[in-house]
Amino acid sequence: MVRLPYVTALTTLFSYGLLFAFGQLRDFFRRILDARKPSNLKGYAPICLGLEDFYTRRLYLRIQDCFNRPIASAPDAWFDVVERNSNDCNKTLHRTSKTTKCLNLGSYNYLGFAAADEYCTPRVIESLKQYSASTCSVRVDGGNTKLHTELEELVARFIGKPAAILFGMGYVTNSAIIPTLIGKGGLIISDSLNHNSIVNGARGSGATVRVFQHNNPAHLEDVLREQIAGGQPRTHRPWKKIIVIVEGIYSMEGELCKLPEIISVCKKYKAYTYLDEAHSIGAIGKTGRGVCELLGVDPADIDIMMGTFTKSFGSCGGYIAASKEIIHHLKHTCPAHIYATSMSPPAVQQVISAIKVILGEDGSNRGAKKLAQIRENSNFFRSELQKMGFEVLGDNDSPVMPIMLYNPAKIPAFSRECLRQNVAVVTVAFPATPLLLARARICISASHSREDLIKGLEVISKVGDLVGIKYFPVEQEKAMAVEKLKIQ
Amino acid sequence: MGRRGTSYYVEAAPPVDVNKNTEWFMYPGVWTTYILLLFFAWLLVLSVSGCSPGAAWTVVNLAHFAITYHFFHWKKGTPFAADDQGIYNRLTWWEQIDNGQQLTRNRKFLTVVPVVLYLMASHLTDYEQPMLFLNTVAVLVLVVAKLPNMHKVRIFGINADI
Repeated sequence: MVRLPYVTALTTLFSYGLLFAFGQLRDFFRRILDARKPSNLKGYAPICLGLEDFYTRRLYLRIQDCFNRPIASAPDAWFDVVERNSNDCNKTLHRTSKTTKCLNLGSYNYLGFAAADEYCTPRVIESLKQYSASTCSVRVDGGNTKLHTELEELVARFIGKPAAILFGMGYVTNSAIIPTLIGKGGLIISDSLNHNSIVNGARGSGATVRVFQHNNPAHLEDVLREQIAGGQPRTHRPWKKIIVIVEGIYSMEGELCKLPEIISVCKKYKAYTYLDEAHSIGAIGKTGRGVCELLGVDPADIDIMMGTFTKSFGSCGGYIAASKEIIHHLKHTCPAHIYATSMSPPAVQQVISAIKVILGEDGSNRGAKKLAQIRENSNFFRSELQKMGFEVLGDNDSPVMPIMLYNPAKIPAFSRECLRQNVAVVTVAFPATPLLLARARICISASHSREDLIKGLEVISKVGDLVGIKYFPVEQEKAMAVEKLKIQ
Repeated sequence: MGRRGTSYYVEAAPPVDVNKNTEWFMYPGVWTTYILLLFFAWLLVLSVSGCSPGAAWTVVNLAHFAITYHFFHWKKGTPFAADDQGIYNRLTWWEQIDNGQQLTRNRKFLTVVPVVLYLMASHLTDYEQPMLFLNTVAVLVLVVAKLPNMHKVRIFGINADI
């Protein structure tokens, strides 16, 4: 649920209309001017249908310099961003050899493991020397090292499930697992704002897919009742199985899932649950065990828990934690396990070391300190932004905070001006978000110190004033009015 | 916040429309923007050409006909490479909105707008001949194209395939 001033909605629609009109005009003239050039297709069909690449050519390419920025160092709290320039209005960008040191507000570096760590890095280098950079083999052939088995047991113990299985890529974990769990004749009910990997996996499975309103357990119940009563389309036979897929933290909203209510609805109607904890594992919860710990849900109530190692653990890859029978089935049927190269051993060692730090098994309390630090940092940053009058989405304790921009012109304005002042932010536009709801997404890390956050806040406040995104009244006036009353 | 309990803010719950080409039409402010665009187009035509108000409405009506026919009823598919595997490639925008449901509020509004434009243009030009004929053709084509019976119909195979 976003709240926006009515005038902003009108101006955003008008801006998109104007951009669309100019794009169409340019396309029209381009078609006239190119009418005489011979087509180089030689009888083959064009790759894009006439209309399909309109958005990319006429809207995205104009602000291309705000996306895909190359970096030249580890994504720590401060990192080096490579400068790029363009001679033809952003159609092509050229890298220069200069870099600028910027505050990193965009990486998913929730616990600060992205840069060299005093416990993890020596062990990772050791494993690189011992096992080399790649196993050059599939898990079932020769790619199953001691590290992989150790990590699977460690992940299962950390999450609180009987067994776990690893994959080399987080996206693939969703898109290759969902087709092995359910097929034609089954029903997948997924949240409307689920990540593309889940949508891809659901489409690839061949099951019927239905969507329920974001984070709305009442609507989920309605959809479940309607579908169970109706059965499969056309034959009306009962569904073979029903899986409900939700995420722990939604990466574009920063919101937590209403997990207890959704689990109770699923239990009532005997549907399986699949929880994607990509952004929440390791980042929230008292001991970092994710959204289940934070909301008090027993992991035994969720059938399949998925997560990735890219965000809080500073590595790559993903995992699935579930009962022994499900993991056994996955190990024998999932193509990402049987045919894909296993995770790189140094990456596995990084996750093992990171989890040991979080659990405190490295002999220090750095893990607990990091978890407390990220919670404090997120709450401080979010409350300060809200006090300044920005529209910030997301729940308390969530390290992801999108700042709403709405208007398409404010996306490049915000992004470029922040970069000029040495703060690197990630801006997200259509089609990753709905058309009108463009936003700048801030990800807070445990490695941000208080001074870093204050500098970030100052820059964002100045840029916010320049760009005009402080949609809510500043709360200082209320506080000052209250103080005046107290004095009188 | 507004005074006396009114608020200048609108709340927008993101609608459950998986088609990104049409879900922007479900947000608040779309109808008002459409009407304001038509009104400002009329003012623009009046100020640039200095013709009578009726002639300006006729110009707006005909331009509206050309633009909405082209984008709502002629162009098919989506203007961006959606990951929907091309399920909308044969559908025009009009056939895509509201997930193909007929007679929703959005569709009724969009059907009424050309009729209102026609009434204003023909009244203010006193039903004189060349304008009346053009305006009538415009409104007939647009309203027929928006009827529920014309869903996915391609007359004589015009605009039938990709």
